[in-house]
Amino acid sequence: MVHALNEIHRLLAPNGILIDLRPLADNWPGEVKSKRETLKAGRVDDMPIGLEDDKAANESIAHVAAEKLFIQEQEEFFSFFYYWDSPKEMQAYIDDDWADFVSIDEAIWKNIRSTWAVADADARLRVRVKMMITRWKKLGDFAALR
Amino acid sequence: MSLQKDPERTETKYLYQFADFSGKRVLEIGCGDGRLTWQYAYLAKFTAAIDLNADELRVATIDRPSELPVSFARADSIHIPFSKEKFDIAILAWSL
Repeated sequence: MVHALNEIHRLLAPNGILIDLRPLADNWPGEVKSKRETLKAGRVDDMPIGLEDDKAANESIAHVAAEKLFIQEQEEFFSFFYYWDSPKEMQAYIDDDWADFVSIDEAIWKNIRSTWAVADADARLRVRVKMMITRWKKLGDFAALR
Repeated sequence: MSLQKDPERTETKYLYQFADFSGKRVLEIGCGDGRLTWQYAYLAKFTAAIDLNADELRVATIDRPSELPVSFARADSIHIPFSKEKFDIAILAWSL
C-alpha cells in the first residue's frame, strides 16, 4: 500500500489532491426500511481480514503523511447503503461477495427474516456501510526529502 | 438481482464536497465497473481509470458513454503507466 501511495505521489501534479474513499469495518447494521419506518435487525460480524485491511491501510497512509508526502486537509464519515428486495437476495449477495469481510450468524438472519416479514409492503432490506472519505494534498518533493 | 447501491447518492455528494473536478485531470484507482467514474467524469478534462479486474473493466468499457473523456486500463496501483505529474486529482476508490 505504501508503494501505491508513492506511485500516486509521483503521478500527481504539485499541490495535487488525493481522495481516499473506502468502507471501514464497523459491525455494519442491518435494517428493514420502508417509507414509513426503519427497523433495526441486528449487525454483521466483522471478519479478521477486514479489520486487518483497515489497519494496514491506516498505517500506510500514516506512513506517507509522516514522510511528508501528503498532508491531510479534510475527513468525514458517512453511511453508504446496499439495498435488497428480500432476505434471500441479501443473503446470496453477502455469501458471494462479502464472505471474506463479514458474517451474519443464524440468529441474526432469523431476526432479519422475521422483521422483514412483518414490515410494510414496500419494505426493503439494507446494510448501512460506514464510509470514510479523506482529502490529502500532495506536498512537494522538497518536503519529502527533508 | 434487486441489489441497489447508494440510491441516495450520498457518496457522490461527499465526493463533490471534497474535490472540484471541473477541467481536472483525474486518475481513479480501483474503478471496477465504473460506478463511481460516471458520477464525476463528465466534469473532468479527462479521466484515466484503472483496475485489476478484467471482467469489471469490460463492463465499464461497454457502459461508457461515448462522449466522456475516460480511458480504462488494467493495471495495478504500484506500476501505473503514466508519466509523472500527469494528474490533478487521484481517487483511491475503495482500494487502499
